[in-house]
Amino acid sequence: MTQPQRNAPSLATASLRVFEMSLGEMLWSRRTIFMGLVVGLPVLMALVIRLFDLAGASGIRINNMAVNGPAIFGLMVWAFFVKFSVPVLGVFYGTSLIADEVEDKTITYLFTRPIAREAVLIGKYLAYLACTIFVVLPSIVLVWLLVIPMGGSLGANFLDLIKDLGIVAVGLAVYGAVFAVIGAYFKRPLLIGLAFIFGWETAVLAFPGSFKMLSVAYYLQGLVPHAMPNDSFASMMQAFFQEPPSLTGSLATMAVILVVFLGFAARIVARREYVLEQ
Amino acid sequence: MHKRTRYFMVGSAAIVVLGLCTGLVAFYNGGLSLTSTSRGPSEMAYLPADAAMVGFANVREVMTSEFRQKMIAVIPSGEERDEFQRQTGIDIEYDIDTVVAASTVVDPDKHALVLVRGRFNDGQIEGVIRQQGGTMEQYNGVRMVVANPANMTPDGMPRDVVEKGESFALAFLETGLLAVGSETAVKAAIDAKASGNNATTNDELMTYINQIQTGQSAWAVGRFDAIKGSPDMPDQVKQHLPAVQWFSVSTRVNGGVTGTLRAEAADDASAENLRDVVRGGLAMGRLVSGNDPRVDMLINSLQMSGSGKTMSLSFAVSPEVIDALKGFAELADQSQPRIDRQ
Repeated sequence: MTQPQRNAPSLATASLRVFEMSLGEMLWSRRTIFMGLVVGLPVLMALVIRLFDLAGASGIRINNMAVNGPAIFGLMVWAFFVKFSVPVLGVFYGTSLIADEVEDKTITYLFTRPIAREAVLIGKYLAYLACTIFVVLPSIVLVWLLVIPMGGSLGANFLDLIKDLGIVAVGLAVYGAVFAVIGAYFKRPLLIGLAFIFGWETAVLAFPGSFKMLSVAYYLQGLVPHAMPNDSFASMMQAFFQEPPSLTGSLATMAVILVVFLGFAARIVARREYVLEQ
Repeated sequence: MHKRTRYFMVGSAAIVVLGLCTGLVAFYNGGLSLTSTSRGPSEMAYLPADAAMVGFANVREVMTSEFRQKMIAVIPSGEERDEFQRQTGIDIEYDIDTVVAASTVVDPDKHALVLVRGRFNDGQIEGVIRQQGGTMEQYNGVRMVVANPANMTPDGMPRDVVEKGESFALAFLETGLLAVGSETAVKAAIDAKASGNNATTNDELMTYINQIQTGQSAWAVGRFDAIKGSPDMPDQVKQHLPAVQWFSVSTRVNGGVTGTLRAEAADDASAENLRDVVRGGLAMGRLVSGNDPRVDMLINSLQMSGSGKTMSLSFAVSPEVIDALKGFAELADQSQPRIDRQ
């Protein structure tokens, strides 16, 4: 008697299976402790600031003018999340999507499954996105709830929260795609990734001319003034980025980067022969 | 998916949804303070709870601004400043950081208070007032110098104080913080801080102060009836002004000057009237400015906006405009002697 032949699952179904399998692994890995520290620090700081405020301390002051909650929130989103957490989490998780499987010599088990190789990359990328978004966004919401009432109104700053959540989610998606390529192609992806965010991206933003267009940070940080709750902070940012890209331009460019890099990473995974070191 | 992974994701999503729902409710209700706390300068704790008008000036920022350096070239400083420095040891340019002033609607002269933060020689200031007949006293643990006009020479006293016969007082509230005003006002400031019943508990006032953007060089917030009560305001102006309830003025001085005047009327119709008055004023200004480019530049920098009960008039004088105005002033100075000679 012949067994009925089972068709290979579609790319979407296969990606979903890899996603389900990878999410738990990713979420309960040692890397998550690092992520917890990265996103827990702003919450802790917000809590301390709020407790000081409730205790009647004079709070953070600039030019003898107490800085209100919305300004502190804008500063924290900029410094802790957009500038640091998003690229750092992108590099740590993005580069490990394929590199970890190669290093652990477990990639063979995935590649011998009757699924398209691209599905492995896409499923793992989606798991990375879910993992980081489900950890980072609650942290931003908690900071917002703690800090904004210090002289601000939750209602008046609600749209800023939405924008900030959107910016962080877009940043995680784009950086993840960029580092997925590095992780799929290079042998020491973490070092290259760190050099990219702390070396290249930092340097090109300071260079005059069009070099900054070759970085993700330029487009991502260009979105931030649109979401900043305070004009003076936005003006400070705009002074830093002499010619900030437009909102539409930033979003369109990042969409292109996301699609191109994710496609490129999937292509590398599909075609590359990974040699496992003994 | 493991159970703990599912629990984690549900918990995480719950925090985000809770935050978004809270924000959404607040957004539609326009409030939801969640025990919000008031901001503003720390000196607010010394101001009376019934303060009708509060002003703040970051003197240090203004003094060191590029704008002031340009103005010095046009407007030289007076001799009074040197005399003031000689007597008190206070150099207005370098020793004063900020000034906060407040007054009430009822008997504003008696309750007007000025709080000056900076670097002072307490002994020298005390000495100056004591030379004028002032006496030292302690009030709730705060050192005060009280000067009774009856015992003093009019030269050393503010004219208003002398004329009204009110005792003038100066208190050293904190290191580097002086309170100046009538004895009643200064004592009330000390009590306000100690009791906690101060301007920070005045929700209406604090709402407007909180709306002022951080980093402004100077601002003032007040109830309009506080100004209406002023004897200096002509009756005709009082009658023609619509029912404005609150106003705020804020300005930022750096290379140029930017500022916003915001007024809140009692209702939409009054606000619309006010906007019409301002529009008319701007049109009139353009009409009468003729070919004077200085007036033209200033009027073009004014932008009116607002909806509902608010009217906002903002202006931005760029450093280039200031340079141009300075140039015009210099030209005018040069041309003046030639006309005289003719």
